[in-house]
Amino acid sequence: MSDSGDSDIAWTLYKDRPEWKDITPVSEDDGPNPVVVIAHSEKFEDVYDYFRAVLKKNEKSERVLQLTKDAVELNPANYTVWQYRRDLLKALGTDLRSELDYVESVIKQSPKNYQVWHHRRVLVEWLQDPTLELELTGDALLQDPKNYHAWQHRQWAIKTFGLFSKEMAFVDNLITEDVRNNSAWNQRYFVVNNHLGWSDLNVQREICYAMEKIKFVKNNESAWNYLRGVLLHDKRGLSGNAVVTSFCEDLYKNKCRSPYLLAFIIDICDEAIKKGELSCFHNPDRAIELCTALATKYDKIRSKYWNYISEKFKIAKNEQEEKEKQQENGDKMDD
Amino acid sequence: MSHEERIELAHRQHVKYFMRFLNILPSSLSSHDTTRVTIAYFSVCGLDVLGSISSINLELRQRIVDWIYQLQVHPNKESGDMSSCGFQGSSTINIDLGAANSHYRCGHLAMTYTGLCILLTLGDDLSRINRKALVEGVKALQTDEGNFSATLSGCESDMRFVYCAACISYILDDWSGFNIEKATEYIIKSINYDFGIAQCPELESHGGTTFCALATLALTKQLDKLSTEQVEGLKRWLLFRQVDGFNGRPNKSVDTCYSFWVGASLKILDILHMTNYGNNRKYVYETQDCVVGGFSKWPDTCTDPMHTYLGLAGLSLIGENGLLEIVPTLNITNRAFEHLKTIHQKWATES
Repeated sequence: MSDSGDSDIAWTLYKDRPEWKDITPVSEDDGPNPVVVIAHSEKFEDVYDYFRAVLKKNEKSERVLQLTKDAVELNPANYTVWQYRRDLLKALGTDLRSELDYVESVIKQSPKNYQVWHHRRVLVEWLQDPTLELELTGDALLQDPKNYHAWQHRQWAIKTFGLFSKEMAFVDNLITEDVRNNSAWNQRYFVVNNHLGWSDLNVQREICYAMEKIKFVKNNESAWNYLRGVLLHDKRGLSGNAVVTSFCEDLYKNKCRSPYLLAFIIDICDEAIKKGELSCFHNPDRAIELCTALATKYDKIRSKYWNYISEKFKIAKNEQEEKEKQQENGDKMDD
Repeated sequence: MSHEERIELAHRQHVKYFMRFLNILPSSLSSHDTTRVTIAYFSVCGLDVLGSISSINLELRQRIVDWIYQLQVHPNKESGDMSSCGFQGSSTINIDLGAANSHYRCGHLAMTYTGLCILLTLGDDLSRINRKALVEGVKALQTDEGNFSATLSGCESDMRFVYCAACISYILDDWSGFNIEKATEYIIKSINYDFGIAQCPELESHGGTTFCALATLALTKQLDKLSTEQVEGLKRWLLFRQVDGFNGRPNKSVDTCYSFWVGASLKILDILHMTNYGNNRKYVYETQDCVVGGFSKWPDTCTDPMHTYLGLAGLSLIGENGLLEIVPTLNITNRAFEHLKTIHQKWATES
């Protein structure tokens, strides 16, 4: 927020206010030769000169509460002013509900400011009342569905006060609106992980949900990452779930060459090799072939990475052939 | 290739750009009032990356050093308490306070970290810092969860300040204020289902916080606490941030600063060479202002010192001509880091 002091015609400086006559302002001591000097407006300097003066006196009064409002308006990132304001609220026994309204209005003006969200959180902790938090963060996410501060506050409120009941519907709406909203996918994981739980049934349902969304937009990193995340909770892993593996093969057969699909099949191959469960679809040769396709055609920007992954499979393949040879030799010896 | 040859570093303009920020700033930047030290950090370290630290003459150098030292919060004169110690970000609350409210004058981890970097970059010998007090100031800010608050004066705690605390402890060569085990536990808990790392457990993976976490693990020599699966997953997640430049989260816009945050993370994992330098370089140059200097997050938007510094640091990581080498963990030049090593040696012989 910029300093709007200059255009404020009706503004009276604190030094010109009779009710502040008893206070001697304390100007900033920036040393004899400061650097990175900000040419603050007269209003800014005046407000902060008085803030320093009352801080020094440790004055706790209504007029100081008002002064902190002016100081915050000029610089909402000043954490000392916010902290002093909280101490004032406590000392004066101010109605915290009106403070909630106030901080909401500041959040609306500065939705990406750490200090305001922290202030909000402390107030909610004091009141032990989170009833307005879902709406507040919902509004902020309407403006910017990926606002990290809003998501952080929302997760905190939901987890602290157990507000999970309508969260899945909220998330579903956001994903429907923008299937690429990674924050919303993350929140979906958060809800299942903390509230619904990873029962077999839920795992299957979430797998189906992710697959539906991938069918809709195939080249969507968020949905693929979610699918992989859900499968962390499937005992059968990436390679053992036939619904998932055939879903991938169908996409592949239908000419989908999204790097996320190919990467996923490569990972299935990797797991199958480690488990010793090779098949015609999932084996080192297939993985190497897909790595080559990614490196040379479908994901050229990461060609060096795919070559590196390919090398790993080549080593695994050699090891396996080595093993088979030894096995054969062993068998011959037995004969 | 012909296009790549055309893009050039507006070296002279960037030097001027940083010199302007070291001097005086317009009132429109009043909301940066409490974080002026970070602006000084971007400017001083930016000049260093440009190989132009000598643009800061002796007189200015002394001014900057004295100004930083003036922001150091010393132990409480009466009680000797050191929990408020650190550097402030500006002189806004640089006043003597009584016993009842002395805690309002306190250091801030991001300012202590960047303040120390400025001193190192300017060749100061750190002889005027109170090492013990700064360590105690760090110690006072670690939470039960293992992460750190920025300041005693009412503040959130998250991954950013874990990183700042790790850098401070590394620079001071004293880890007694930093519980490595707890911090590592916090970092590992913040690894997400997509293997990126978030600001706190269960939040969305983010390029900036992933850097903070990885650099901390590197500085504390705890990278081996990650499983192979976690390391490989993290490599994949980081490499997929590249579009032409890098984004900070899946499906978000590319932004110049992630050429550093993600680039440095990849460098720490020793796989930056697997990215496409040409595309990365081209994107960063699209955000360069050749006329007045500076870089912005997106093409044709406003430049700022942070994106200018991080744009240059990102270019330095991929070996851009005319730029000094960066140490990815501490985010200072190798030149400044060598100076730190001589200070460490001196401290070691003194103790």
